Amino acid sequence: MTRETPPPSTPSDPLEHWNDALTALQLLQIDPHGFGGVCLRAPHGPVRERWLQALADLGLGIVKVPGSVDSERLLGGIDLAHTLQTGQLHMQAGLLQQADQGLVCLPMAERLSPALLAPLVQALEQGQVPPTRHSAEPTLTRFGVVALDESLPDEPGVGAALAERLGVWLDLNELSPSDIHADWTDAHTESLHLRLSPGALARAREQLAQVQASDDQMQALCAAALGLGIGSLRVPSLALRLACAHAALNGRQALEADDLGFAARCVLAPRATQWPAEPSAQEAETAPQEDKTPPPESPEAPENASEAPVDDAEKDKDPSPTPEQNAEPSAEDLQEMMVAAALASLPPHMLDALMTRQGATSPQSSGRSGQTRAGSQRGRPLPPRPGRPGGQARLHVLATLRAAAPKQRLRQAHNTGRVAIRAEDFHIQRYQQRASTCLILALDASGSAALQRLAEAKGAVELLLQQSYARRDSVCIVSFRGAQAQLLLPMTRSLVRAKRAMTGLPGGGGTPLALALKMAHEQAAQLQRQGVTPILVVLSDGRANVTLQGLGGRAQAQLDAQSWGQQWRASGHRALWIDTSMHPDAQAQQLAASMGASYLPMPQVQSQRMAHAIERVRSPQV
Amino acid sequence: MALTFPFAAIVGQDEMTLAIQVVAVDPSIGGVLVLGDRGTGKSTAVRALADLLPPIQVVKGCPYRCDPAKPAGSCPVCQARDPKSKVTTERLPVAVVDLPLGATEDRVVGALDLEKALSQGVKSFAPGLLAQAHRGFLYIDEVNLLDDHLVDLLIDVAASGENLVEREGLSVRHPARFVLVGSGNPEEGELRPQLLDRFGLSVQVRTPQDLALRVSIIKRRDAFDKDPAAFKALWHKDNQKLQKRILKARELLDQVDVSDDMLMLCARLCQQLGTDGLRAELTLLRATRAYAALQGHKAVKPEHLQSMAPLALRHRLRRNPLDDTDSGARVQRSVQEVLAARQGLRA
Repeated sequence: MTRETPPPSTPSDPLEHWNDALTALQLLQIDPHGFGGVCLRAPHGPVRERWLQALADLGLGIVKVPGSVDSERLLGGIDLAHTLQTGQLHMQAGLLQQADQGLVCLPMAERLSPALLAPLVQALEQGQVPPTRHSAEPTLTRFGVVALDESLPDEPGVGAALAERLGVWLDLNELSPSDIHADWTDAHTESLHLRLSPGALARAREQLAQVQASDDQMQALCAAALGLGIGSLRVPSLALRLACAHAALNGRQALEADDLGFAARCVLAPRATQWPAEPSAQEAETAPQEDKTPPPESPEAPENASEAPVDDAEKDKDPSPTPEQNAEPSAEDLQEMMVAAALASLPPHMLDALMTRQGATSPQSSGRSGQTRAGSQRGRPLPPRPGRPGGQARLHVLATLRAAAPKQRLRQAHNTGRVAIRAEDFHIQRYQQRASTCLILALDASGSAALQRLAEAKGAVELLLQQSYARRDSVCIVSFRGAQAQLLLPMTRSLVRAKRAMTGLPGGGGTPLALALKMAHEQAAQLQRQGVTPILVVLSDGRANVTLQGLGGRAQAQLDAQSWGQQWRASGHRALWIDTSMHPDAQAQQLAASMGASYLPMPQVQSQRMAHAIERVRSPQV
Repeated sequence: MALTFPFAAIVGQDEMTLAIQVVAVDPSIGGVLVLGDRGTGKSTAVRALADLLPPIQVVKGCPYRCDPAKPAGSCPVCQARDPKSKVTTERLPVAVVDLPLGATEDRVVGALDLEKALSQGVKSFAPGLLAQAHRGFLYIDEVNLLDDHLVDLLIDVAASGENLVEREGLSVRHPARFVLVGSGNPEEGELRPQLLDRFGLSVQVRTPQDLALRVSIIKRRDAFDKDPAAFKALWHKDNQKLQKRILKARELLDQVDVSDDMLMLCARLCQQLGTDGLRAELTLLRATRAYAALQGHKAVKPEHLQSMAPLALRHRLRRNPLDDTDSGARVQRSVQEVLAARQGLRA
């Protein structure tokens, strides 16, 4: 794609997505391990099936690694069955060694445990399998990874450590089977003929070694990545490798705009965290328009989605899209082209998400919906470890037998004919459970938040409670008015109790915001200790006028609120500020910023919209 | 072995590379903690270490890589050897051992040797990662996500320099003195204070925002990816130079003089910052001395202190939850104040 043809009205053409996905396959064939691999986000269905079929047809060695694999099978180790049978040590190669010069395919990659991801990432990065206990020397292996991510849009995806190292991120969620039948198949009858002939493959690989990028192109690539808010230097590096492979595929010796555009679409665009220009100006520009825009086409794409791409196209024509000014016009043109290509390929809901983000600097906790807690009796199994069964722990029979097996001869078990097991062999089962989250609602019941608004807020909160209940999350309500903040409802899952507490809530008085934030913070710390991840939702107009000591004084009250807001930020938990005042002003917004919270002005409290916003804070997508 | 990116070719992360060099000069400083975003070259720098450092003399055949010059405190294998027989030695590269997140306990501390148990019915100990890292570096990526039970193990071993294994009917004690190098992203989790304290120096890395710098990094990385061997050859000379500098600094280390005046400065600085325990002062002192040696100076000067203080003290401050400023900046400010007070006293 070149600069002349960014489609302004349809930001993501499904066909183009599909074509990119197929091109990525060909590039995998040319350079299976150069750019890390592919992270494919798509539900199980005909689209993904077709892509996987094409992948299988490539003729590359593909090793499928199920999520249940143990580390010994993954990295190689003792073949226990054979060893016990023969009484001699037999080793087996791990899956990663078998994948050398080919691909590792990870189905349901989003469910893989960190214990498996860590050695995988290590091998991917270093090009060798780390030495295990039984082989002192590391074994060389170079492979690419195809991670299949089936997570829903509001679920956390593939682990960040792995995803970061996979060059191409494809999102085929939006593609329907009819989209893909239109193109490549018509020209090539039934099956997709992506596989390069041996001659063409050899030529392309030879070409790949010689592809050169000019200084301008490198500069453009780095500037485009920087402009899109991608901090990691691994990303432009991977993009460059991908662009080179793309050039080799097309039989070119030098990179061209087309290659860079492809890399921008597949590598840079999905990782974008901010707008190429000043994000704050952009936000300020579009925020007031929010209410005037026509209703969204889809429930997933809120208000400003249709507005965004047009805006962006205008923005791109501005002479200075990034802070970096460069003497070479060609590098700048290239960069503009890449940014345009990247933005044009983003689906609308992503654009929207970029809009509502506060820039890349706000601390975001990792995308998991709750922290993990080991040692419980439910959840995903962890590797067994030696220990005494009893109490919380259950015996892991297989691991215990494994530990005892080699010592049978020592213990002279053949005399008795029974397996001799000693206490030191005992291994216990371990599980890991994902902890739940708890919404802390800080509810402004002061006079400034008029009584009628309080009633509206209550309605919205009730809807939230219902949602939380469905998700098995708990809520905790802090209300504040007059000279004190009150823990209206300690952490609970009981809907009835929450409703009762809400109905009895009186209104009126000053706004002791600092006290409320302090209490929320204390609650959060307590929840954290219990293994529950807190999320704070503040419903207030932000006009604090009661200090931490419970005295009047607007200036001091603001300062106190600010400092406790910063403390919340330091805790790193997520937060959302819903400004309930009739005329939203900068005050609440500043406070929200100092807390690291998302800010949402809502002069008319709309339960649905609020619930939606909270849902987004609860499980950030980008 | 897969080739690693040459250390000398790393650009941009000056503080991190400096900290690693300082620790290489004097391993007793206690390790480096690198905190920062993904893709900032943390792992690259640590993995490049093995090439940078000169090979070490080890007792041949010793699984723990014992130092032939220091028979005292050696491993069970060397102690069992007849003291009269001549020790043969060999030169091996310094170990940089990766400790992956999901590692099992027996892999880390060592466990019963299955092979021998099966084939010969002998109970013997197969050393784990801690043994491999002896006299070298133990690198933990994403150290802040490490399982609690592994953290407990590490805290103990890193402090005592000795690994005590009491499990599976084995009772083994072997030396495990290593430089702990950890990296991680602080936004994903906090480190336990006890583990934090085991790291001598701490560095914060950020992705460079300067475009020219980023371009040069990408260029070098690309050149390396295309032809690692050629790229290494290109940088061989610079790497050698760096290696010589570190070796020279090691020799110089014992001769570096630390005046009482400087000791007072260190003490006052730590007092003013309110760091817990004496470990802060000790680390600061060692780091400054190593840095002076690296610079080729025979006496520690205030400017050495000034560059090392943030690295050595940053992670030891009592955290004030309401203060959002970078702790490095706080240390820097205190150094200025202490130095100014000293000037005032002299005048």
